[in-house]
Amino acid sequence: MKRWLKLAAGAAALTLATAGCAGSGGGDTATGSGGSDGGTLTVWLMDGSAPDSLTGALNKEFEAAHAGVKVNYQIQPWNGIQQKLTTALASDTPPDVIEVGNTQTPAFASDEVLTDLSADVNSFNGSQWLTGLKASGEFEGKTYGVPFYAANREVLYRKDMFEQAGITAPPTSDAEWLDDIAKLKAKFGSDKDFQALYLPGQYWYTLLSFIWDNGGDVAKAEGKGFKSTLDSAGSKAGLEFYKQLVDASGTTAPKDNDEATPQQAGIYGGGKVAMFIGTPGEVATAAKTDPSIADKTGAFPIPSKTAGQTAPVFLGGSNLVIPLNSKHADLAKEYLKLLTSTKYMSQMAAAGYVPGTSTDTSALDKDPLGGVMAKASKNGRAVPTSPKWGEVESGQNPLKDMLTAYLTGKKSIDQATADANAALDKIIGG
Amino acid sequence: MTATKVVPMPAGATPPASARATPEKPRRRTGIGERMMPYLLLLPALVAVLVLLGWPTIQMLGISLRKLDLHELVTGKAVWIGFDNYTEELTDPEFWSVAVRTVVFTALLVAATLLVALVIAVLMRHLNPVVRIILQISLVLAWAVPVIATTTVFQWIFDQQYGILNKTLDRLGFHSFIGYSWFSTGASTLAVIGLLVLWQAVPFVAFTLYAGLLGVPREQYEAAGIDGAGPWQTFRAVSWPAIRPILTMVTFLSVLWDFNMFGQVWAIRQGGPDGASTTLAILQYLKGIAGSHFGSAAAIATIMLVLLLLVTGRYVQLLVRSKDGELA
Repeated sequence: MKRWLKLAAGAAALTLATAGCAGSGGGDTATGSGGSDGGTLTVWLMDGSAPDSLTGALNKEFEAAHAGVKVNYQIQPWNGIQQKLTTALASDTPPDVIEVGNTQTPAFASDEVLTDLSADVNSFNGSQWLTGLKASGEFEGKTYGVPFYAANREVLYRKDMFEQAGITAPPTSDAEWLDDIAKLKAKFGSDKDFQALYLPGQYWYTLLSFIWDNGGDVAKAEGKGFKSTLDSAGSKAGLEFYKQLVDASGTTAPKDNDEATPQQAGIYGGGKVAMFIGTPGEVATAAKTDPSIADKTGAFPIPSKTAGQTAPVFLGGSNLVIPLNSKHADLAKEYLKLLTSTKYMSQMAAAGYVPGTSTDTSALDKDPLGGVMAKASKNGRAVPTSPKWGEVESGQNPLKDMLTAYLTGKKSIDQATADANAALDKIIGG
Repeated sequence: MTATKVVPMPAGATPPASARATPEKPRRRTGIGERMMPYLLLLPALVAVLVLLGWPTIQMLGISLRKLDLHELVTGKAVWIGFDNYTEELTDPEFWSVAVRTVVFTALLVAATLLVALVIAVLMRHLNPVVRIILQISLVLAWAVPVIATTTVFQWIFDQQYGILNKTLDRLGFHSFIGYSWFSTGASTLAVIGLLVLWQAVPFVAFTLYAGLLGVPREQYEAAGIDGAGPWQTFRAVSWPAIRPILTMVTFLSVLWDFNMFGQVWAIRQGGPDGASTTLAILQYLKGIAGSHFGSAAAIATIMLVLLLLVTGRYVQLLVRSKDGELA
């Protein structure tokens, strides 16, 4: 009766095979992809950043200059990118060039998962880097991120509606802005669905403009860390102006959601909104609802409380980085050198972005909406370069909670700012 | 479901006691193989369970004792910090308010699920076949729709500006609901989430209980009727004993599901407003994925496991002790 022995041996073999698989799995894939990866440069850019015409020409030029090298170009969606980047950077064979949002860069830089590019700044056109973005790629005196492009917000408005309401020139101060809102409401207010300014309650990028304009800030550097300053007089004044705008404009936008839910460009495209605060690219989105709206849209910079000036704007954008584990760091640097050259940067400008490594914005200035943005970008500012800022945005943003609590009247301005200050300190403080 | 049914079995008849039989008897010598056989056959399954469930749990416990942020993850360094992650969480008042909220929310949700499902199950017994089939199809449809799809539908129903609910309430004469925000407080946000989960959880529980009710022979109801029992008495004396073990099981399952639920809560308001609908699962996500503090997240996961064991301990105890899944 040796039947059981056979079975036992079979079971044991099966067990060993299973265990063997689990044990050697990691090693196998590492060597496998390492071998076949030779000569392939993997590049991740984000959805909606560089236009296909640019990347097509760039990759072709790069491959022509480096015989035997193939560019594996991939477009990543913004949704869930933080998680994807974390996994990618932790792997043995990460992509070689990655586009990273400017507010995410400090976190990756401080975690020492990026290649130090300090020695190569000059070969990437270092003298012309966009100041607002440059700081986000630096950590403790070293450079880890190369500015790629930036975009900032401006007020997009319906030229025809302004004309009908008897407004001859766009406002140049907060007071004029409020006046114009009153004029628009007087003219179109009989329509129940009309909104002079569409302003959702949690549009914290806009709040940043008002806070900075009133001399406040989100946080200040203190020692090696940050200390939030949302309860300062300037920050409170900015928050108050936000409420003033919401109340004056009669916006029906949700007070407990941001500009993306529902997408504000879609609402603007509906034709009952005279103004919204956004990037020039959003007009294209609105035109999907109503193609005629693009021609009716004009832009002016976000006004300041001081007549004649414009409010500082939050500079949103991206940096280019090379992961520390990249197997082709030298090739990646060559690639960055090409991408940051004036030739390709002017193509970024033509695509409607403020270029990151070139001060030449002539291509952008040709477009009336882009020109306004380019001018305002000179007064562009960034969020605190805390490595923990990414957590503020990907988690529960205290600035959003502060806006909702104050706008809905659930908290007083002192209470709302004090709570937000404490919540922010808990994340980025120390 | 039949496995959990009460099947009376004479205790003495428990079959192969052979495993414990004395090996001295010579005629049993060839039986070693036969005695080993069940265990050998169990081995592959056991290994699979250990690899797929045991190892991740051990990993989680290990990670919870380490400082594991992005830097450590990328460089592969293991920084052991003892119970720092635990003390950090357990001394944080926010953690406790979230934990209490999660437990209370889970308890209310499970109670509501069972109550609604029980009523529907009893109802299904009494409905005429056509109506019953319509009801059953509706239940299956509600159950079959993917979680996130249902969540999106609910988001639109309760939308402040464009939601059908506010518009309907307005039409019915409740004009104060124009532009009413259902997500302005934590309690009301959790109520909407609760409703959403209820919608998705009731079908399974209702069908399970209905299956239990079907197992009761019709004669028992007839006998109860002859004895003059009213509907309530019939339910207590005939239906209840039949479905009690099943009810225990679905309670246990519902507790597990609702306690660990993440998708719906996150999709509705990311645990907002102002963190007021944050549950432990959300907190874990915020620490782990949003904040890249994987050690803290693992510590929270371990604490959740302990909490769950405390809550469901009685059931597990019964499960381990009882024979043939006899639960009472």
